[in-house]
Amino acid sequence: MRHWWWKVLCVLLLVYTAVVGLQTPLGPGLVHVDPARVDTGLVEIQLTGYATHFASCTSGNHVWFEKAGIAVCQPDIKAISDNTILVKVSPVHSTSPGMWSIVVDNATDGPLRLADAVYINSDGIAMTAAPCGMMTDNSSPSSFGPQFPNRSILNETIRNLFFHVPMWFSMIVLMGIAFVYSIMHLRSGSLDHDLAASIAVNVSLLFGALGIITGSIWARATWGGWWTSDTKLNGSALTLLMYLAYVILRGSVPDAHKRGRLAAVYNIFAFMLMLVFIMVLPRLTDSLHPGNGGNPAFSQYDLDDSLRAVFYPACAGWILLGIWAYNLRLRYGRLNALLDENESH
Amino acid sequence: MRTKVTSLLILVMLLALPASSFAQEAAPAWLEETMFASGKINTVLIVVSVVLLGLGGWMFAMDMKLRNLERRLKK
Repeated sequence: MRHWWWKVLCVLLLVYTAVVGLQTPLGPGLVHVDPARVDTGLVEIQLTGYATHFASCTSGNHVWFEKAGIAVCQPDIKAISDNTILVKVSPVHSTSPGMWSIVVDNATDGPLRLADAVYINSDGIAMTAAPCGMMTDNSSPSSFGPQFPNRSILNETIRNLFFHVPMWFSMIVLMGIAFVYSIMHLRSGSLDHDLAASIAVNVSLLFGALGIITGSIWARATWGGWWTSDTKLNGSALTLLMYLAYVILRGSVPDAHKRGRLAAVYNIFAFMLMLVFIMVLPRLTDSLHPGNGGNPAFSQYDLDDSLRAVFYPACAGWILLGIWAYNLRLRYGRLNALLDENESH
Repeated sequence: MRTKVTSLLILVMLLALPASSFAQEAAPAWLEETMFASGKINTVLIVVSVVLLGLGGWMFAMDMKLRNLERRLKK
């Protein structure tokens, strides 16, 4: 029991992550506007929601457009289904052209906002600057149990938070283990410390590779490309290449003691650079990742409580899995080294 | 030897990643449809599958290593 309680904990945490992370329903949200550009004349705009209750809510819907602090009510609306609503934009007087945000509001879903949803050209189309009469009756949207927030672009992929982000945390923890063993090797000269460091790097690369592949898939579905020139993406790619260089460098030196010292020194520099590439540089510039260009991604704006309830156990579970994999691989490595030693005697 | 081959594969894959961003317009429609359907839930399923496949692949590699070790021990 003493030796494997944390392995049981790891499995339980990952089961919890999979079940709650995939099964918790997504909250309502606006996902699509058609057409996204309005030029002239009376135009019917179709709004598409996800997990919404436009038709079945008892309160009826309010729709208003917002721009620069002006709220313009749209009285001519028709809910076709729970996920579709039609809005007739009525020309009244001229406004300035630009992007308008759209808000749909009912008592069941609460106010749903799609920022910069529609471009309205000034000529012909205009709207009275009158806010909807009943914007206050929806202060407490009725929700059933915990829901994940339905953010624009992200939608269901917000669940990837539990499967993509912890890969990097696992990788960083394993690289940290390698860093500690490298320092220990320089102090002791023990070949076992060098072995432990190299195996930690080995397993960390598995998690790094999984992180970069899952990130690429996620980016395609949200940012629109398999790869973007975001600082965090390039930083993590550089990190992986740097650690691959560690593997190649270590493999290219035949003498065991020389190999250990060289690899340890390289690894200490690599770890420092990894911290700069992944933790420091993305925060100094703008990044598509949340929480960069300033503070870590744990602020209340980035992480909802419903997400935290899964995200933290998920991180613990995946980190434990990484350590477990490292543990297995290290035991194999030690047995192999023992066998080498016996054969050479 | 095996680790070197794996490393090289990852390297090639990493180098190919930025190149694929130029080809994003040519992404096949079925992939698009699959990934974006139903509030993009399939993207989550693909991500979870990739993680499981990756870990499964690692398990296989570990299995091979242990088999080689057993063979050496028997000698």
